Order: sequence, then structure tokens, then C-alpha cells
Amino acid sequence: MKRLRIGYVPLTDAAVLIAAAERGFAEAEGLGIELVREVSWANIRDKLILGHFDAAHMLAPFAIATSLGLGHIRVPLVAPFALNLNGNAITLSNELFVEMIMQSGQPPESPVETAKALAKLVARRRERGGPPLALGMVFPFSTHNYLLRHWLRLGGIDPEQDVQLVVVPPPYMAESLRTGLLHGFCVGSPWNSLAVDSDVGRIVALGVEIVRHAPEKILALPQRSAEQDPETVFRLIRGLRAAAGWCEDRTNRTELARLLASPRHLALPEHIIYDTLEGNLRVAPNDLRRANPDFLQLGREKTNRPDPRHAKWLYAEMVHAGQTSFSNKAYDAAAAVYRPDLYERATGEAALPATDDPVDLATGPRFSERDPAAYLSAL
Amino acid sequence: MESSFKIAIVDENPLRAAILEEGLREAGLCNVVRIAERTNLLARLTTVDPDVILIDLESPSRDVLEQMFQVSRVVKRPVAMFVDQSDAASIQAAVDAGVSAYVVDGLKKERIKNILDMSISRFKAFSRLQDELDRTKTALGERKLIDRAKGILMRAKNLPEEEAYALLRRTAMNEKRRIADIAQSIVTAADIFK
Repeated sequence: MKRLRIGYVPLTDAAVLIAAAERGFAEAEGLGIELVREVSWANIRDKLILGHFDAAHMLAPFAIATSLGLGHIRVPLVAPFALNLNGNAITLSNELFVEMIMQSGQPPESPVETAKALAKLVARRRERGGPPLALGMVFPFSTHNYLLRHWLRLGGIDPEQDVQLVVVPPPYMAESLRTGLLHGFCVGSPWNSLAVDSDVGRIVALGVEIVRHAPEKILALPQRSAEQDPETVFRLIRGLRAAAGWCEDRTNRTELARLLASPRHLALPEHIIYDTLEGNLRVAPNDLRRANPDFLQLGREKTNRPDPRHAKWLYAEMVHAGQTSFSNKAYDAAAAVYRPDLYERATGEAALPATDDPVDLATGPRFSERDPAAYLSAL
Repeated sequence: MESSFKIAIVDENPLRAAILEEGLREAGLCNVVRIAERTNLLARLTTVDPDVILIDLESPSRDVLEQMFQVSRVVKRPVAMFVDQSDAASIQAAVDAGVSAYVVDGLKKERIKNILDMSISRFKAFSRLQDELDRTKTALGERKLIDRAKGILMRAKNLPEEEAYALLRRTAMNEKRRIADIAQSIVTAADIFK
């Protein structure tokens, strides 16, 4: 039995890893997985590159940034398996939402309406000389950051000038909303639901309502170790793919929710985790719900095969957010982090016919990997 | 000269932060600020404006510090200790000990090394302390367990205390197990038969 230490952050989208480790899927491939719960993405990176972890649950853009050496030392990583797509949401404080209703006379409904209503509040604050609204996200190199920026622009809000975007660790989000340090945030599951449940916030947009197929967490390994021992990587991919199928199967949902809720993993209420797996979220204090079958995808036909176009889109987002400047070399290097070749060799699954837009913004330009400049200038 | 360094310690554990601060002061580094806030950390750090930030690896706030790479307008530009890879061993040692350092760009490496080494040894001292505390707690728990098992034996077999203990010890030796384990079995069995 080959033993692997894998680091993860307690979130719903660690489901496939947790199921692989604890429901026999890794074992069936001759692997024993020791899961190590971590509190920060910086720890995940450091322990992965120091060799404390063999692999890790990682924010897809962070794996790319680490491979490119953005903001830190350059350590090439590979992503041979996508752990999920989507799963994020945007939450605003109850106070802010009430202000919106007072401003417009009725509650805004769609993400676009809400962003436009927010723009009015931003303008009013500026007129009165108040400090800008503070919005939280989990990490500079995160899909949450980019989703939040897309959503703000839907309302004509400049994410750089009009608001302040700050990193806040997920467990502190609801607390920061209550104390007024934050006015809203974009975070992964189940932290939005937790803010609604503790009556401090209201979910105003599901990630999937802004970007229909957003890359989120991937399995990351140092490139060097993946090259040294590809057989282990293949076994891990197969174990994860089997676990992903199990996670996606609705008949296992109660068991999966209970597994994730346990004190050694998320240590959060089971019903909240169940709702996020189901894609049926309570969004407001008055039991108003919003459902979307694509809210979180763990193991569907196209979820787990890493699509290098997702990496290219994330790189384009980094450029747009001012985190790096565009170069063709880095664009290709970002795509090379995603390794569908390893996934296909391990699983024997052939590539499915590609859709023409791998991410599909609900409102906004189409993304074509051949013309990132057109996408960037249309944003 | 070194005493002019301003060092911020971000640690929610007040005991460990105190141990670290004391160590730094002993080394002549007196300009130390302890920050225990979980929220609004960035604003607090902006006010304190430290040259070196030491942070506990168990703190989720590390990710907040990572953002400071990008908002250099707000604070003096810090870099993680990793960025200078010339001393891989002490980086490894720091992560092993559970501490990470962020340093304002431009500070001389050898001056940081002292601070980092100090932090590592203090973090290690703290975890030794914690281990001892845990061991003491376990030992106390085991003492109680053995007393209960002894009581059960005394009642069940009508033995005086010393003989009950001798029986426990003999059984443990014969079965090559710890006395506390045997005591646990007796207590569990007695609970079942109750």
C-alpha cells in the first residue's frame, strides 16, 4: 500500500478527496491517503513545495500563479484532476440589502439587478464622502476574486476604484459581516449558507449565475514528483474519478453530507452541507431559496478532466485584475499546468467534443483561447 | 541598531506570543507588537507598519498577509521568507516548528535570520511545553482509570488494595500491555456487565 499525504482546506469541494480517502476508492487503487486539514492556502502551497504533502486540494488560479512564480517563488505544479466546477456565491450584509430596497423601492432579484442596485449605493457613499464598501474574497489568486470582479462590473462598478477588495479567511467571513468590517463577500460552500443561517447576510448571486462553468479546485502535485512516479499519479486519478462518481450520485448525498460535516473535516451543520451539495440554497432569513442544478459539480461527465482552456481563462483573469501582464509564453505555461494527458492515460476516458466557450459568462464577452486579447478588451 | 526593527507577532495563542516576545526582547529586539485580532488584520498591520511579521502557521490569517504582496500601496511591501531561497534549511525548520515570517523588502537577510532562528526555537519550546501539558493530562486521566479498575477488582474479588494493584500489574506484564490499558479493559467490561 503506497501512502500519500494530501493537504486540504475544509470546504464542500474537498468532497471528492475526502470520499476517496475514506470510502475505499483510494484503497481500491492500492493507495492509503492521509488527509491533513489546513487553515490557509499559503500553508497548502508551502507544505506542497517543501514536500510535506504529496498532493493538495488547491485553488486552480493559485496553482497556476505558483507555477508561473507570481508574487512568490516559482515552483512548477501540475493539475491532472479537476476536483470540481463552480460552488461559489456572493453574499451581502442584511443592512446593505435593506439599503438597496430603500433605494430602489423593491428588492433586486437577478445578479445584474443587484449589482446595479449596489452601484447606486456606491455612488451615494462617494457623494457623502464615506469610505468605500469593503468586500471580502478568500485569496488574491482565486476564482472568487475574479467572480466578484465580474459581478461588480455587471453593475458598472470599478473593482479597483469604487470598492475595496480584501482577503478574509472563510471562517471569519460571517463574523466580519456582523461587525461591519465587510459589507459582502464571495466565498465557497458552505460559507455563504452559514452567513444566511446565522442571520447576518443574504446570498445575492450564485457563482454559476455569473460564470456557468467556472474552474475552482484542482488536485495539485509538484511537477517533479509527478514525473518521477507517474504510476502513483495514475492510481490517484483513478481513485478520485471513482470517488467523484460516488459523490455526484444523489443516492449517496446524505452519507456524503454527514461525512463532510464530521468534526474531523468541516465540523459544520450537516443540513447546510447537504443543501450546497444539492444546489438548493437558502438565500435569505425568510427561507427564500434559490436552486440551480449546476451550482456545484463534483463528478459529472466533464467535471474532472482538466481543461487547459480553463487555465488560459484564469490567466486572462489574472491579467485583467492587474496581477500580471500578458505574455504569450506565460499564457502557454499556464495552460501547461492543466494535464488532461495524465487524466486520459489514467482513466482511459477520451476527450469529449469541446464546447466553443469553456467558461461561458452569463453576461459578458465569449472567451476564445485563440484570442484572449479580444476577451480582455471586451471586458 | 537591530532594536529599531519593528516586529509584529500575529498569533491567537497569547501564551506562545508571550514566549516569543520574551525571546525577542532578550535578544535586544524590543520593538515588538502582538496582534491577536482575527478580523481587520490588514488595517491593524497598516497602522503598526512593521518591518518583520511573524505568524503562526495555524492562523488562517496567513492568506490575508499574502494579499499584502499586491496592495503595496497600503503597506510597505513585504515578501515571504520563501522568496529568498538561499537558506532552505531554516525555511524547512520554520515550517516544521509552525511559524512563518514576512519581511519588508530590502532588509538584510542575515539580520532576519537571527529573528527567524529565535522564533523557531521559541515555537519549539512552546510545543514541548504543550506536549508536557498533554502528557500530564493523560497521566492524570490514567491514574484515575487505574484507581477505578482497582476499586472494581477489590469489590469483585474481595481483595485488599495492594493486591488489586499487584494483580493489575501482573496481568499487564503477562500480556505485555500497559497497566492503563488493562485498567481500561476492566472498566469497560464492568460497564458492560453493570
